[in-house]
Amino acid sequence: MKKRVVSLMLVCAMVLLCAVSFAGCGKKDDVKQESSADNKDFKVGVIHIGDPADGAGYSYAHDQGIVKMQKELNLSDDQIVRKINVSDGDAVATRTAIEECINDGCKIIFGTSWGYMDTMEQMAAEYPDVVFSHGTGYKSNGKNFNNYFGRIYQARYLSGIAAGLKTKSNKIGYVAAMDISNSEVTGGINAFAMGVESVNPNAKVYVKVTNSWFSPDLEKQAAEALLDGGCDVIAQHCDTTAPQLAAQARGVWGVGYNSDMTKDAPKAHLTAPIWNWDVYYTKAVKAVMDGTWDGSNYYGGMDEGLVDISPLSENCAEGTKEAVEAAKAKIISGENKIFAGELYDNKGNMVCKEGEVISDADITGNMNWYYRTVVAE
Amino acid sequence: MSRINNKEPLIRVVKKAEISGFSLAILSVVSIVVAFVAGGIFFSMLGINPLSAYAKIFAGAFKGKIAIIATVKIAVPLLITSLGITLAFKMQFWNIGAEGQIIMGAICASYFALFHSDMPHIPLIITMFAAGIIGGGLWGLIPAFFKCKFNTNETLFTLMLNYIALYLIIYFKEGPWRDPSSGGFPKIATFVENARLDKLLGVHIGWVIALVLVAAVYIYLKYTKQGYEISVVGESKNTARYAGMNVDKIVMRTMFLSGAICGIAGMTQATGAAYTLSDGIAGGVGFTAIIVAWLSRLNAVMCIFVTLLLSVLDKGGSVMQSAFSVPTYVSEVLKGIILFVILGFDFFIQYKVVIRREKKS
Amino acid sequence: MCEETKVNENGDVAIKLNNITKIFGSTVANDSINLSARQGEILALLGENGSGKTTLMNILAGIYLPDAGSIEIFGKKVHIRSPKDAINLGIGMIHQHFKLVDVHSAADNIIMGNKSEGIILKKKRYKEILEISEKYGLNVEPRKKIYDMSVSEKQTVEILKMLYRKAKILILDEPTAVLTPQESKNLFNILRKMRDNGCTVIIITHKLNEVLEISDKVAILRKGKSIATVKTSETDALKLTELMVGKKVTLSIERPISEHKGNLLEIHHLTTENDEGVKTLKDVSFSLNKGEILGVAGVAGSGQKELCETIAGLMKVKKGAILYKKENIIGKSPEEIIKMGISMSFIPEDRLGMGLVASMGMADNLLLKRYKNGKTPFVEKKEARKLSYELIEKLGIKTPGIDTPVRQLSGGNVQKVLLGREIESAPNVLITAYAVRGLDINSSYIVYDNLNEQKKKGTGILYIGEDLDVMIELCDRIMVLCHGKVTGIVDAKDATKEQIGLLMTDAFGKEEDDDEQD
Repeated sequence: MKKRVVSLMLVCAMVLLCAVSFAGCGKKDDVKQESSADNKDFKVGVIHIGDPADGAGYSYAHDQGIVKMQKELNLSDDQIVRKINVSDGDAVATRTAIEECINDGCKIIFGTSWGYMDTMEQMAAEYPDVVFSHGTGYKSNGKNFNNYFGRIYQARYLSGIAAGLKTKSNKIGYVAAMDISNSEVTGGINAFAMGVESVNPNAKVYVKVTNSWFSPDLEKQAAEALLDGGCDVIAQHCDTTAPQLAAQARGVWGVGYNSDMTKDAPKAHLTAPIWNWDVYYTKAVKAVMDGTWDGSNYYGGMDEGLVDISPLSENCAEGTKEAVEAAKAKIISGENKIFAGELYDNKGNMVCKEGEVISDADITGNMNWYYRTVVAE
Repeated sequence: MSRINNKEPLIRVVKKAEISGFSLAILSVVSIVVAFVAGGIFFSMLGINPLSAYAKIFAGAFKGKIAIIATVKIAVPLLITSLGITLAFKMQFWNIGAEGQIIMGAICASYFALFHSDMPHIPLIITMFAAGIIGGGLWGLIPAFFKCKFNTNETLFTLMLNYIALYLIIYFKEGPWRDPSSGGFPKIATFVENARLDKLLGVHIGWVIALVLVAAVYIYLKYTKQGYEISVVGESKNTARYAGMNVDKIVMRTMFLSGAICGIAGMTQATGAAYTLSDGIAGGVGFTAIIVAWLSRLNAVMCIFVTLLLSVLDKGGSVMQSAFSVPTYVSEVLKGIILFVILGFDFFIQYKVVIRREKKS
Repeated sequence: MCEETKVNENGDVAIKLNNITKIFGSTVANDSINLSARQGEILALLGENGSGKTTLMNILAGIYLPDAGSIEIFGKKVHIRSPKDAINLGIGMIHQHFKLVDVHSAADNIIMGNKSEGIILKKKRYKEILEISEKYGLNVEPRKKIYDMSVSEKQTVEILKMLYRKAKILILDEPTAVLTPQESKNLFNILRKMRDNGCTVIIITHKLNEVLEISDKVAILRKGKSIATVKTSETDALKLTELMVGKKVTLSIERPISEHKGNLLEIHHLTTENDEGVKTLKDVSFSLNKGEILGVAGVAGSGQKELCETIAGLMKVKKGAILYKKENIIGKSPEEIIKMGISMSFIPEDRLGMGLVASMGMADNLLLKRYKNGKTPFVEKKEARKLSYELIEKLGIKTPGIDTPVRQLSGGNVQKVLLGREIESAPNVLITAYAVRGLDINSSYIVYDNLNEQKKKGTGILYIGEDLDVMIELCDRIMVLCHGKVTGIVDAKDATKEQIGLLMTDAFGKEEDDDEQD
């Protein structure tokens, strides 16, 4: 359903673009000028927790989305206001950064980190003319404050296939930023484990928690502990390349996150679940520009291209490509919903009945159990 | 018995006699000008026109109501904390622990904001204010107590207490005060409207508190008996004992006050600006405030101006950074250069360099 | 290390100082001093405090640079710019406060700072240290930690350190001050052995008997000038005292007779110890009467400071009693002593470090003891300002303004501010230490007059002084301290400078010293 809407929208957009360019080429120069003059004052703010210049990881992935959006919508550099290294543990710094965006004339501001949520919620009430779009959270006001996120678990399912085919010891390690109470992380682990199970029913997924989204040291320690336990593929839900490097150092394999980490750990990396944030950013900015913004939340999936996996590397086992592509097609077509019954957690409880599908609300907010092939400390 | 024995040293540093207030003012102005020129050279090296960079910084700090409010918001905790530090430094008690004292003030105030927010507004604000004072004050009292009883090193002691305070926040955030509605993400809930500091002219009333404190600290140090005691103890503990002062009592009392003022900064920051408690609540203010106090020569009124200078650099710097798409480190480096030059001039205020004159005999 | 040479009266000149002058601010510490010492000789440097001995030796050790004059070491003209230069020249100085690292062993302390070799081969070093020890009869365990050592052992380590660094000239600043007589004897044996090995030893001391016992020659300094150098064998205690204190000068200072009678302050068997456990006051007993100026004479460091500070309640007492109007004030804090209604004023030795706040103006300094007056939490500054102007008038204090930091005032004016403040508080007991130090003649007389005025009012004054001529004329009685002991209390009217001088150097005190060993 959604897919059709999106493709329809895309077609419409393309038609519109063509029409405009034809019109421009055809005769009237002032039409083009007018439209760009309209958009010239339009500014987009983005609050990064890290520095995209680091070249990898979370902020980089988001910023790539911003850059593509900018190209797509033909915005000038002046129209993008970036605030970098804004600590999401510091509400005052967050507010100051957002205020600066507003002061610069931004009409839509993307907050990319979870911790900006409360501040954005407050400020949305204070500045009703500005759109606050918050990534990865759960709050929204239906008007000028929404949240956006995606079905990254779909990509994790695919990366699980690559891991499941690769492992020899049938022990796969998973470095998790947060513990079982964090729905986002836990859902990702479960989808990954299901992906593994779909090709290798004997493999188990071993989880180690760092309690930090970004900590090269802790991530390395966690990865090494898993490797010591006999794991020969290390997957991760955390922001640095440390787990991949740890795996490479032991001569085994890994599944990254956020960006294609093959360039960081060429001998170990198989693939990584990645985000194509431009899909959402372009859509959102365009909606605000055109006045079609409706304040709804966004939860995109693989069908829209928001999530995907990075190109499979040469390290992948034979047959991976075929298995992944088959699974991907099923996900995109909606045949495989992933969190569809019958499902059991690792304590033996049934968590989803045959024929039922876990709701989006539960996936994002209430997934507090591990899938049955998951082993946590 | 080498040949070098036959020469006087080439350069000697000699302490200057007192310099007059006028030449002090001149030197201060010159130091600021030189500092900005040095910053300008830095901009030129990055290929940015220094004038437009400074213009951007100024505009970023003052252009528009939102910007001015944000600048003031940065200034408030800095000013209050520098006053607390001024008290301790006047006594030559090197309180490097303002960061921790801010945090403890914020934690104590947050307790009431989180769990007693049903109190009527005014009593709640007063209670949180008192809690901030007590939290920060006790955190300042601890190193003073150990200094008096066991002659511990206050610099290290206060520094270490910062970390304890910081990890206390993290403990509360991940443990007992964790927001249950946050879906597994460790954070403390946002304070309800009732537990937030009121606003005046668009900024939370922390700025009024800060200005009142400036006057209070100025008068306290200059005109009261306790202020007099602080100056004497700071100058010489022997003199203080000789004059019949109870030095230990004075040290502990002053450090309580110093910490208490820093605690107030924490309280206003949590309830007025952040509306929550997070590990970024102090955000290095406790250290920056040391520079403020020092550049102000421990004069409470001067603290206002130095605080303003730093706040403008801070606020304008971040706008400049995004306007020129340079890394955030650029504005940090700029701040560093400017402070370094100004502090460097301090050396010339206190010392002069004597170069050996060749004598022909 | 010293060359193996015989004791030689006509050995080569090791040190020659020509017209050395050193000025600190307005004080001339050394005024064209000439001095020489030969190899294989022990030279004693004798002089009252303030005569410039320590300054002179610090110049030799590279701590101060002379303002004028030249230094020749073994016939070569040198500039000694730092202690390192001094060591390179073979000059080693042993200060009163040892420069040792407590947590290191003796051997580590000895080797430390010696950069001649990159890698320290401890075994080889231990052997070397033992060799030197044997040669000079030093008794040091190389592996013993400094904090386990007695004062005398530490001193031996210092000497060994200098010998290890191949010092040929050894300077000792009052080495026996901290030693028992037995230990002193040992030290002298070591010094004699060093002399016999060709070293030059310069020893600063106040004890005449020791000078006579150990030295070959004596150089006498007085008020920054070199007075004479005599052969020890050709002199005696009386002659040396005369040279040291000089001829009597008549100053015609008034000595009024007070009508007030009765005991004000009684000190009984007062004993104090410093941090190292060395006794600084030994069984001191005396009394101070109303309307009396009691002079306290003695070379610096004889216990004057301890005496003042114990009476003012600033220092802990080991034994004894201080009775003020029959009430024991020991154990009371300075504040309590003031609260008891005892107005005890004490003009400390270290004026800017203790009596005054250097960065504050005169008015604020006058507040130091009265800032608590008044019921409000505010300091009553008006009174102090009024008083400041009064004092400026009365004592002729020269200051740019009453808010000018007192550190900018000259020493004399600083002294007047301090004295004025203490007198203004109308004390019953006034303790002054070196009240006229750094003052010109006129100012000094103003101070004497003020003290006499207090005396007439019935104040008991403890006058710690250094100028014997002044004390003989100003004081009613003079108590002499030597190494923390009272060596005599004399009536000033009948006293002579020689008599006091001999008491100061404890020329008669030999037997008592021995008694105290146990």
